[in-house]
Amino acid sequence: MSNKAARNLFIYGSLFFFAIFIVLTIDTMGKLDKRAPAITEEVNAGKMVWHKYDCIGCHTILGNGSYFAPDMTKIAEKKPKDYLKQFLMDPKSVNPKASMPKLGISSQEADNLIAFLDWISKVDTNGWPPKPILATAAGIAGKELSAGQKVYQTQNCSNCHMINGIGGTTGPELTHVGSKRDKAWLIGHFKDPKAYVPNSAMPAYGYLSEEELNNLTDYMVSLK
Amino acid sequence: MTIKYESQKIAQNFYTFAVLLFLVQVVVGIIAALQFMWPDFFILNFNIIRSLHINAMVVWLLVGMMGATYYVVSEESDTELWSVPMANFQFWATVLTVTLVVLGYIWMGINPQANSTTLFSTGILNEGREYIEAPRWADILIVVSVLLFLFNNFMTVLKTKKWTGIQGTLLGGLTVLALMYLPGMFYTKNMVKDQFWWWWVVHLWVEGAWEIIAGALLAFMLMKTTGVKREVVEKWMYVEVGLVMFTGILGTGHHYYWIGTPSYWLWVGGIFSSLEPVPLLVMVWDAFRTTRETRVVTNKAGLYYTVAHAIFNFVGAGLWGVIHTLPQVNKWTHGTQITTAHGHLAFYGAYVLLVLAMIYITLPAIRGVKEFNASRAFQSFWWMTISMIFIVLTITGAGMVQTYMERLMGLDYVAVKANYNLWFWILRAIFGVGFLYGVVIFVIDYFKLGKEPAPIAAPAPEKA
Repeated sequence: MSNKAARNLFIYGSLFFFAIFIVLTIDTMGKLDKRAPAITEEVNAGKMVWHKYDCIGCHTILGNGSYFAPDMTKIAEKKPKDYLKQFLMDPKSVNPKASMPKLGISSQEADNLIAFLDWISKVDTNGWPPKPILATAAGIAGKELSAGQKVYQTQNCSNCHMINGIGGTTGPELTHVGSKRDKAWLIGHFKDPKAYVPNSAMPAYGYLSEEELNNLTDYMVSLK
Repeated sequence: MTIKYESQKIAQNFYTFAVLLFLVQVVVGIIAALQFMWPDFFILNFNIIRSLHINAMVVWLLVGMMGATYYVVSEESDTELWSVPMANFQFWATVLTVTLVVLGYIWMGINPQANSTTLFSTGILNEGREYIEAPRWADILIVVSVLLFLFNNFMTVLKTKKWTGIQGTLLGGLTVLALMYLPGMFYTKNMVKDQFWWWWVVHLWVEGAWEIIAGALLAFMLMKTTGVKREVVEKWMYVEVGLVMFTGILGTGHHYYWIGTPSYWLWVGGIFSSLEPVPLLVMVWDAFRTTRETRVVTNKAGLYYTVAHAIFNFVGAGLWGVIHTLPQVNKWTHGTQITTAHGHLAFYGAYVLLVLAMIYITLPAIRGVKEFNASRAFQSFWWMTISMIFIVLTITGAGMVQTYMERLMGLDYVAVKANYNLWFWILRAIFGVGFLYGVVIFVIDYFKLGKEPAPIAAPAPEKA
């Protein structure tokens, strides 16, 4: 092959593949609206908050970004909105161990940002992120769960709390909570967290039946 | 090698700025590495430090390539640069813009509320999109700078109309680079579109235009260090950059698996991106085949860096990229430290070593020396390269642990980062200091090269 032929192959071949790329791009652009919810003013305002504080400088979203803080794609599904709002406005007041700085995010900005994160959580990402193979259970494999453990699972407590190394670091660890709190405190706290822990962002669980609350509390008390 | 045209010396301004920014990049990188262990220890948050780290990198590599281009085009076209004052102006305008942008990042770091979004819908100090954090006004200034740079070089070629394969490909690559900056310069309300077009910039830069530039400069460097015939080296250059485009353009799809775009990208991206290492392997073969036939080498350091560039371009960009490019794997590794590991070795191999090689090949001529004491060059090369290999191994280890424990097992992100990966962060910081040591030796060498007495006797011709 002569140099001129090689050069022409390079130039025309590149243009050929670029043309295919353009066609696929146009097709993709046309399909995007159907793959996500409608973008409201609030969602867009939230996106602008995301950019203003350069959240992607620490976090990832849709898996892209800086690999320093957790991915935000499904955060609006995993954490209660009230928790997110409180955390965004003053992280360490909610979780003293949080590394996230206090950036001066206003109440309005927080609301908008949460609307944006809610939108992101509903984008069709071809199934990303995949569900973990080992479920985030309460660390007891192969045995029949107790009544209290079942409540713990159905309420998804491990999204925020850790027992025996499994679960989240958002809220306090519960591995030895039975040595710290008694039954009365625990039931009162489940019904109204803020009355027992100032600045708490934990949702209230008073809607559970008396039986469920008792079983859950018995489980907590057993964690010595 | 000596310079034929005085205007080739303009490259030195660009090289000096590049070298200083390289030093800044690495110092800031160590701060970032420490923040993985102690997030609150510094006055600026991680996101600002990271922006400084990656922006310093992109700018110094670009500025280094600009210097190299001014040198190459003048020589290949057999004439003085069309306008030295324009090149000087472009240089100082770039330095000023970069300085203002950096000050803006620091200001925003200290006072986040200063990053108002009323103008252009994007932040006035920081756009809040990684790698392209520079605000819109800076984008415009950068475009002007690049246009002046391209214009000056194209006018130089038109003076003698001596189009060589090397400079044609180099300028072509730079033009694509300039065009591909534009997709990042508009605001969209849709985050999926935002990331789609962002990848047009980033992928078509580092896996497109920049590799074309690397292919052209590799041919130039092989020609200058080994005396290989132009026709041979240019033909293989066309093969390499052709394969880069044939695999890399549709290979962009490997960034479109999970961001909200249609699923056909898993097929398109998966197949084409798996082939992206092929042109890089051809470059390695090309470098070895060429150097094996060489008898006399005056610039050993230059040749070292040239061959090392070809090798680590393949290992970092090619191998470390291909291990997680298939959707079946990437589903689990996307957004983990595996990506960072690939990024560090890819940039070091494909572009850091490229600019350093060009400096070692062209700087002696600019400084007016035929030979120079290369001991610092070799020292810094080994300190940097070995440190970077170990940095990348620690990040790869951290990425494997993260993929297994966080993604596959479902453990908490923070717990995995702070507990299971802690020792990887400690080792990485240590190797980072090793890398910095290598950079410091290189910076000293850069400023001293050609200004010390020449070596005592020329070595006997190499028997290969």
